[in-house]
Amino acid sequence: SATRNAAAGPRSVPAAGRPSLSAAGKCSPLRGAAGALRIGGAAGARQGRVGSAVGTGLAAALTRLIPSPRRLEEVPLEVLRQRESKWLDMLNNWDKWMAKKHKKIRLRCQKGIPPSLRGRAWQYLSGSKVKLEQNIGKFDELDLLPGEPKWLDVIERDLHRQFPFHEMFVSRGGHGQQDLFRVLKAYTLYRPEEGYCQAQAPIAAVLLMHMPAEQAFWCLVQICEKYLPGYYSEKLEAIQLDGQILFSLLHKVSPVAYKHLSKQKIDPILYMTEWFMCAFSRTLPWSSVLRVWDMFFCEGVKIIFRVGLVLLKHTLGSSDKLKSCQGQYETMERLRALSPKIMQETFLVQEVIELPVTERQIEREHLIQLKKWRETHGELQCKSPPRLHGAKAISEAEPPTRKALEPVPSIIVPAGPAPVPKARKSKEKNREKSLGSPANGPGAEGNGAPGAARELLHPQVSPHHQSKESLCSRESEDTYL
Amino acid sequence: MEAIWLYQFRLIVIGDSTVGKSCLIRRFTEGRFAQISDPTVGVDFFSRLVEIEPGKRIKLQIWDTAGQERFRSITRAYYRNSVGGLLLFDITNRRSFQNVHEWLEETKVHVQPYQIVFVLVGHKCDLDTQRQVTRHEAEKLAAAYGMKYIETSARDAINVEKAFTDLTRDIYELVKRGEISIQEGWEGVKSGFVPNVVHSSEEVVKSDRRCLC
Repeated sequence: SATRNAAAGPRSVPAAGRPSLSAAGKCSPLRGAAGALRIGGAAGARQGRVGSAVGTGLAAALTRLIPSPRRLEEVPLEVLRQRESKWLDMLNNWDKWMAKKHKKIRLRCQKGIPPSLRGRAWQYLSGSKVKLEQNIGKFDELDLLPGEPKWLDVIERDLHRQFPFHEMFVSRGGHGQQDLFRVLKAYTLYRPEEGYCQAQAPIAAVLLMHMPAEQAFWCLVQICEKYLPGYYSEKLEAIQLDGQILFSLLHKVSPVAYKHLSKQKIDPILYMTEWFMCAFSRTLPWSSVLRVWDMFFCEGVKIIFRVGLVLLKHTLGSSDKLKSCQGQYETMERLRALSPKIMQETFLVQEVIELPVTERQIEREHLIQLKKWRETHGELQCKSPPRLHGAKAISEAEPPTRKALEPVPSIIVPAGPAPVPKARKSKEKNREKSLGSPANGPGAEGNGAPGAARELLHPQVSPHHQSKESLCSRESEDTYL
Repeated sequence: MEAIWLYQFRLIVIGDSTVGKSCLIRRFTEGRFAQISDPTVGVDFFSRLVEIEPGKRIKLQIWDTAGQERFRSITRAYYRNSVGGLLLFDITNRRSFQNVHEWLEETKVHVQPYQIVFVLVGHKCDLDTQRQVTRHEAEKLAAAYGMKYIETSARDAINVEKAFTDLTRDIYELVKRGEISIQEGWEGVKSGFVPNVVHSSEEVVKSDRRCLC
């Protein structure tokens, strides 16, 4: 079992140990305690398991971490500056970019979001920014409530166990842990029927490393309800279904790996539960986690599937690789202690981008597996809202900011110019300006372009198993079916 | 390469969240104690060889499970293929003790027609000053369910070896007596590679090598 620690080295990479960024100051009004520059990172992502650094303190852990080969992968400073200014421009004209240059956004997410703007970008991509604006004061309201004791008890026991070597979470009862508590508790109040699932804590912790508690809360809400609906619900049906979907996709991606896992009777749930439920935050080296999340926020769950498939393919995808793990246990051991080479940022990201697994395929597979599930298990016990595949789908499903400022029309004109009376002067046809509201400013522009028009621009983004309507219809706040 | 082993036993470790399941297993398999360990998400697994008699080694496959109730829909699928189990509670957490009954019921339902040889483990016994469950009541409960009871501490390495090896010996005895047998399609007990070792129940008296740590 010593092999499982082999990957400790590359995991131990400073989070955002890049040179200080002047952009951080001017562009992140939302940025709270979690600054842009963070040395030490989530080195502890898996340190709990590594053990050796335990008790030796943060300083010792850091000295071990800093002289890392990862430095080679760092983006040159000039490039970083350029990216920052490009991202600033995008964020300041977000709706326009989203409507017209979504592919460019996707490309830039694939290249990696500059660390100084990452937290902000995630909020825009996930639609959590819109969500927050629609629910001003909601988080504070939840924050003041005491919460259900049965959840508080479990949450409290987990607080000190999330990224314990990250400077934010290192001290018991410190700011990081307090905020983590607030975010997780607020979620149990926001969705009392869901409560708290232990796999939500690492997700919330990663978010808190990039944004203040209120923003992290809404981002968590988006992940739980739009990106990975049902993952954390009672019964955990959604994750089990995705395990089957993953396995079925593996058949196409790597028949060798598929055959081996079938032969060894290794159920996907054994290796993919933590991968998927924690969005690889406890699996990959830190720099890879961030790159994967950048793409995940933009492109949705497809990225999670692809990462899983790439890892499986490169671990078990050739007879040569299988030589040393012929048994069931050996195979699982191998999957648990993945080779650092295949988790390395540049390699992994490239492989993920190139892997031809589409939303359409995932949705098709979803239907097939759902049917099988019904045959063997009966109806799903937890109804979840439909999965939205990334920023584009969310921005189309989620109403623009102005929704917060006006009543939602009960009838929505399906196509043509947006139904906003004062927007006549707008130059773009499929985009309306917001109602000159106080919320005007970056990102406050309307984004209510009809879905039909968008599908013409991006025909690939609508392969949902539900009807098109659910993509472009307004979300009725609580879309639980 | 793998060392030679006589049998492979699959054990499962269950109990409430934060009673110390992963820490106990890691102490046993890796010989160290992690002050902090991530909450287990889903199922995890470990392995170690145990020598129950000189030259007789048993390979243990130890399955760690998430303690949070929500994960039971996933973890319960792994009860069935286990021959033995450690049911943990935290001696400083009364509720985890009260839930022992529920855990047993839960496994019973999902393990049929097989059965799991359980040992009840009162964990974190180094924290004696914060104790909320007396040894006496734990022993009584264990006896009522026909289990052995042992108190362990992963932090101070108290009885960790003993908890696992005693359970392994008990299962081994049952296997030897034919009360538990290897079955096709069941992973609980598997026969290993045994070159030149004649399996005999008349083997010398059990070694007294119990590690007291």
